[in-house]
Amino acid sequence: MIQKKICLLGGFSVGKTSLIKRYVSSIFDEKYLTTVGVKIDKKVVDIDDKKVNLLIWDLAGEDDFCRLQMSYLRGASGYILVADPTRPHTLDKLLCLHKRAQKSIGNIPAIIALNKYDRIDEWILSDEHQTELSNLEQPIIKTSAKTGDEVQTLFVNLAGQMLSN
Amino acid sequence: MSLLENTFLGLNQVLLQRVSESCFELLTPMPKILQPLFPDTQDNRVEIDDRLPFLQHFLYDAELHWREQHQAAFDSGVWLEAVEGQELPLEASAIFVNGKPLLLLQELGEKYRETADRLQSARDHLLMEEQLEREVLKRTRQILDREEQISLCLLGAAGCRDQETGAHIRRIGLYCAAMAEALGWSRAQIEQIRLAAPMHDIGKIGIPDHILQKPGVLEVHERTIMETHASIGASMLSGTGIDMMDLASDISRCHHERWDGSGYPEGLSGEAIPIGARMTAIVDIYDALVHKRVYKPAFDESRTLEIMSDMTGSHIDPTLFELFKTLLPTMREIREAVQD
Repeated sequence: MIQKKICLLGGFSVGKTSLIKRYVSSIFDEKYLTTVGVKIDKKVVDIDDKKVNLLIWDLAGEDDFCRLQMSYLRGASGYILVADPTRPHTLDKLLCLHKRAQKSIGNIPAIIALNKYDRIDEWILSDEHQTELSNLEQPIIKTSAKTGDEVQTLFVNLAGQMLSN
Repeated sequence: MSLLENTFLGLNQVLLQRVSESCFELLTPMPKILQPLFPDTQDNRVEIDDRLPFLQHFLYDAELHWREQHQAAFDSGVWLEAVEGQELPLEASAIFVNGKPLLLLQELGEKYRETADRLQSARDHLLMEEQLEREVLKRTRQILDREEQISLCLLGAAGCRDQETGAHIRRIGLYCAAMAEALGWSRAQIEQIRLAAPMHDIGKIGIPDHILQKPGVLEVHERTIMETHASIGASMLSGTGIDMMDLASDISRCHHERWDGSGYPEGLSGEAIPIGARMTAIVDIYDALVHKRVYKPAFDESRTLEIMSDMTGSHIDPTLFELFKTLLPTMREIREAVQD
């Protein structure tokens, strides 16, 4: 079976762990529990009639207390950049992490998850941020780990990109 | 069991020596809590394979560390491994001792929980601060929206009698906001002048119709009455305790003051004239010159700037006029975007 490593990157409390839990176990917990370190989940998916074992690396959110080790990305076939548009500074963090990831492992498939779509009325997405995000030329998917909206699409889209890469 | 072995066991640590790329020999007994990670332990040896992807990933870095024979420990960072329904917080360290490549694996237990609790509390605190900040911003926005409604109501009342168009009034606010931004004013101050500057002529509401709407030149006594619009407007807008209204009051009072002190109502000169009023004077003249009025045609921009240049030092603030000229592309955009 093909095995592919995916990493989730983003600021703290943007919903990386929740997206993985929703995708892998179909569960969502409203309570925020910070991730410390790295947690790896596995999920087997069928992409274009091929069975793919996804190794999903949940990397602790970066902030003033924790800096992400880019060496964790080594061997990754793709990564998901997650932001919470109700907290616009997490979009800056996303842009910064994308640059660092590209510098560290080059151009591999990436996808942007604008999470917490269930709270879209609280999103603060400035024109500048929208322009910067579209300049990345990566697919942007609006997800909600809470409702499950587009979570499957997010992972399947990235897996598809990785297989055709 | 030796004292050292018991110590490792007590600390939930195991020391391994590298035998080959993925095979390691146990130098100390395997703590019970770590045993499920290595179900195939045989002859005191364990395999680190893709069942432990994080550790396998770390071995790449550890290999480099051992090859370079660094004395100091090289840590993997914390990771969580799911074992029998619970998550074990683990950390590995690569060390090179007595010519041997060693791997120390430990279950962090309480140490991890303390770190996690500390981080959780710090991040909860940050999230709370962010939430409060967003609430303040939301409330500020609501206040600004109300202020805008108040100014629009006042301008609407004044507009019934004044001939100035709604577009001219909006442009004045936007021109001033562009200048304020270039001057490095705060976002709140920029918003304030955007709303305040359009009210500069609001005092005309107190001028009798036969003077306000008189075609042709005003007599001296009529001009004197007309000039009272500055102080009428200032009085109307003062005393609210609202920053934007205070600014509007200053602008209304002083927008006919001149840089050389020859203006009215107080004959203020230079920087004694509030900056908002000096900015409003410049953009009001510019907008009046580039647009058609009943008493004059629209001038092109170069003619407008010539006329305004002649007014610098006497009528308008020369430094602010220089700044204004650097912003002409923005001013043109505003003119094109906001029309009747």
